[in-house]
Amino acid sequence: MSVDRSSTHAPAHRSVLGDRASRGWVEQLRPDHPRHEHAAAKLHDVLQRAATHELHRRRGQLKALSGPEFDDVAQQCADDAMMKILARVDAFQGLSRFTTWAYKFVIFEVSSKVARHAWQHQPPGAEEATWERLPDTLTPKPGDQAERREQLAALVKAVEEDLTPRQREVFVAIALNDVAIDVLALQLDSNRNAIYKNLFDARRKLRASLAAAGHPLSDEEAHA
Amino acid sequence: MTDLHELDELLRAEDGDAGCDAGVPIMDQYVEIELRGEDPNERFPGTAIHLRVCPGCRADHDGVLEAARRFADLDPD
Repeated sequence: MSVDRSSTHAPAHRSVLGDRASRGWVEQLRPDHPRHEHAAAKLHDVLQRAATHELHRRRGQLKALSGPEFDDVAQQCADDAMMKILARVDAFQGLSRFTTWAYKFVIFEVSSKVARHAWQHQPPGAEEATWERLPDTLTPKPGDQAERREQLAALVKAVEEDLTPRQREVFVAIALNDVAIDVLALQLDSNRNAIYKNLFDARRKLRASLAAAGHPLSDEEAHA
Repeated sequence: MTDLHELDELLRAEDGDAGCDAGVPIMDQYVEIELRGEDPNERFPGTAIHLRVCPGCRADHDGVLEAARRFADLDPD
């Protein structure tokens, strides 16, 4: 799976139109600039602090990570982001402040590394969650009214009969079992965008199936 | 799930959703529009829809926004 979501899609060597500080960063991060080392060290320092903060923000997915390892991951994120920024600095177009553009790289690094960590530390059997093991979410409760029971029965039938195996796998994992989309992408050797498309298509199909069975979820679907 | 709204949320799939990849190159611009107190939905409507639905992209967006707020803009000098 490709975890590099940091490409800018921008052509290289555009003129820099940004603010004074952004122009300063671009100039000083060029390898032949006399202040390159100073600027690179300053940027790396703030990237590492941003990575540490972001790792703390996502610590719920990092339960197995201890103190020193936590710092190591933050440094790796900053190092990897720094490499990508230095390789793309001439592609910076000045459409945002340079630092905001740079923060994007380090946040994407944290996102990728957290997903990989969560995937590698999943509890045993987590990858084997199947539709058959997960009916409780869609099981009617004793107090549910008849209409509600029929609606859930129609949804269960649609999940079983109308989705492709891949759509069912993705829908069950993400929508019903709260598996993180990036963890599932790693598990299925795919990427976030492709998994999201599977999920989107599954949801569309299930809504259409519910409407066709007389259980529309919106006015538009009721009158389609 | 307890009601129709919850089922509607479980199956949310909005027209115009730009998907995950579309937000990657513009995430910094999107965040700066928000930091200026403006509405990014006007310039990036497909990504605005997507961020309401995709928890992975939402987490990345929130991280960039938080970093830009907390660590702000720096001068290289």
